[in-house]
Amino acid sequence: MRVLALIGLACGAAVATASGQITPGLDAGIAAVKYDGFLLSGAASLAPSVRWDHPRGRGFVSARGTYLRFESGNRSLDASMRASWFTTLARRWRGELGLGLGASDYASIAHFSHGIVDARVHVMDQDRGGWVATSFGRSSFGAGPRPVAVVAIGGWLLRADAAVFASFDRSFVGDTAYSDLRSSARLQRGVVLLEGTLGARIFSNGAGRGVYGEASATVPLGRNTALIVAGGRYPTDVITGSIAGRYVSAGFRLGASGIRKPLPTVRPRPAIPHSSSGSDGSGGALLPPTEARLEVAPGRSTDDPVKLTLYAAGAGVVEISGDFTDWKPIELRRSLTNGDAWEGMFRLSRGIHRINVRRDRGPWTAPAGTTRSADDFDGEVGVFLLP
Amino acid sequence: MMLTALLLMVQVAAQDPRLERLDPETRSLVMSVVDSARAVGLPSEPIIQRALEGATKGAAGPRIAAAVRRLATDLGTARTALGQGTSAPELEAGVAALRAGASPEVLTRLRDARRPPLTMALAVLADLVASGVPADSASAVVLALAPNARDADLVEFRRAVERDISLGAPPGASASVRAANTGIRFGVTDAAQNPPQPPRPPSRP
Repeated sequence: MRVLALIGLACGAAVATASGQITPGLDAGIAAVKYDGFLLSGAASLAPSVRWDHPRGRGFVSARGTYLRFESGNRSLDASMRASWFTTLARRWRGELGLGLGASDYASIAHFSHGIVDARVHVMDQDRGGWVATSFGRSSFGAGPRPVAVVAIGGWLLRADAAVFASFDRSFVGDTAYSDLRSSARLQRGVVLLEGTLGARIFSNGAGRGVYGEASATVPLGRNTALIVAGGRYPTDVITGSIAGRYVSAGFRLGASGIRKPLPTVRPRPAIPHSSSGSDGSGGALLPPTEARLEVAPGRSTDDPVKLTLYAAGAGVVEISGDFTDWKPIELRRSLTNGDAWEGMFRLSRGIHRINVRRDRGPWTAPAGTTRSADDFDGEVGVFLLP
Repeated sequence: MMLTALLLMVQVAAQDPRLERLDPETRSLVMSVVDSARAVGLPSEPIIQRALEGATKGAAGPRIAAAVRRLATDLGTARTALGQGTSAPELEAGVAALRAGASPEVLTRLRDARRPPLTMALAVLADLVASGVPADSASAVVLALAPNARDADLVEFRRAVERDISLGAPPGASASVRAANTGIRFGVTDAAQNPPQPPRPPSRP
C-alpha cells in the first residue's frame, strides 16, 4: 500500500489509505473566474466524486462530475473517469496502465470529449522516485476527433510533511503541439494543508505560452469536512478542452479528505480555448530563430503612413517586399529600442495586402502574423488585412 | 473611339516603367494580359503587381505569364459575382475569397446582403478559410454577420477566431463558437430569415 501511495503521489492522484473501499465525496463552492476572452464572472459549483481502490492496492478507479452555474445563467457540465492498474516489474520498478475518459459540455456549444490510454514505468525508493510515461488517445470537439499523444518524464521527493514534484511533458493534439514544465509542492503545517503548482508552457505551436501557477489551502473543519480556498491561473488544456483562466474560489469538501488532488475543486470548463493571443498575453512572441513576425500599426488616419515592424531575433539584415513596395525589396532599419525589431513606414491602402520577408538575404517567406498562402510561384506569401 | 482608347491604354501599359524589370518576352506577355483586362474594365494594377511579385521571386517568364492570366480570369469571375461597379480593392478581396474556396454565389449573396465597400467582409471571409475554417462555414458566418456588422466588428471576429485557433481550437468549431457568441445560429445561411446580431464585446461565460 505504501508503494501505491507513493505512485499515487507521484502521479498527482489521490490514493485512499483504506484497502478495497469505495470513497464518495462532494465538493461545493463558489468562485470568481476570468477566462481569457471573457469577462469576470461568478460561479457556483457542485462536484460529486467516487473512488474505488483495489483491496491489495493493485489499482483504483475514480470518477468525478462537476456542475457549474455561472452568474449569466449558463451552465457547464464536466465528467471524467480515471482508472489505473499497477504491476511489479522489479524490486524498485513498477508498471502502470491507465485509462482516462472525459466529456464536457458548456451552454449550447458542441461538447468536448476525450479518451486516453497511458503506460508508465516508475522507479522509486522510499522517499524519492521518478517515472516516464506515454499516452495515446483521441480528443474531439464537436465533430472530428483529433489524435492525442503525450510523452512525459517526472520525479518526486517526499519529506516528513512535504512533497515536491516536477515533470516535463510534450503533447501532440492534432496539429497542436506544446510542452509543459511543471512543478508542484504540498506542505502540511499543523492541520492546514498547503498546495501549490508552478508551470510554464513552452515550445508551443497552437496552445499558447506562458507561466501559470495555482495555490490552495485546505483546513479540516471536522472528521469528514474541510474548507478549501484556492486561486491562481491555469493554462489551456487542449486535450480536455478547459480554457486558460484566472480564478479565486472557496468551497467545502464533504467526505474523506485523505491526500487530496493538488488542483482546486472549482475549475469551470467551457468548451474551447478563448484567450488573448497567448495564454499569458505574450502574443506568442517566442518564435523559431529563423522566423520573423509582422506587426502592423496603422496611422491615425488613412492618409498617414503605416508602421510595419518585423521581429526577427538574431537577424543581421531584414528586408520586406510587397504590393506596397511594387515588390522591390526594402531593407528595414533596426529599432533603437529593441535589437530584435526592424521597422519601416509605408503608405498602404485599406484592404488586403501581400508581403514577403527575408532575413540575411535568405529565401522570401511569409512572416508570422499574416495568413500564409501559396503564391503562384511555388512559394508562400503572407496576406494581411489593413482595416 | 473604342480603338483609340484601347491604343491609349496599351501605350500607358507599355510605358509603365515598373514592368521593365521583366525580360522583354515576359513583359510582352504580361502587357497583353494587362491590355485585355483594361479593355473589359478590370483593374490592371493587381495584375502588374503579380508580375512584379514573380519577378522579385525569380520566377520564370512562362510562370509569371500564367499567374497573371489566372489572376485576370479570377478578377473577371469576381466582378461577375460582385457586379460591374465593384472597386479594385473589392475585386482583389473577392479573388482572395474565391481562391480560398468561397463560391461566386457566396460573393453575390454578400453583395446583396451588405452595403459597399465589401472589401473587409471579403477579406475576412478569405482569411477565415485560409485559417482553416471550412469554406461553407466561413461563408455562412460572414453572410450572417454582413448586414449589420461594421468592418471593425468583422475584423475583431476574425481576430477572435485566430486567437482560438492559435490556442488549439479546431478552426470550424472556433468560428461556430464565436458566431454563437454573437447571437448567430451557426449553419444558418439565410440572413434574411435569421437576422444576425452584431458582434458583442467579451461576455460573461
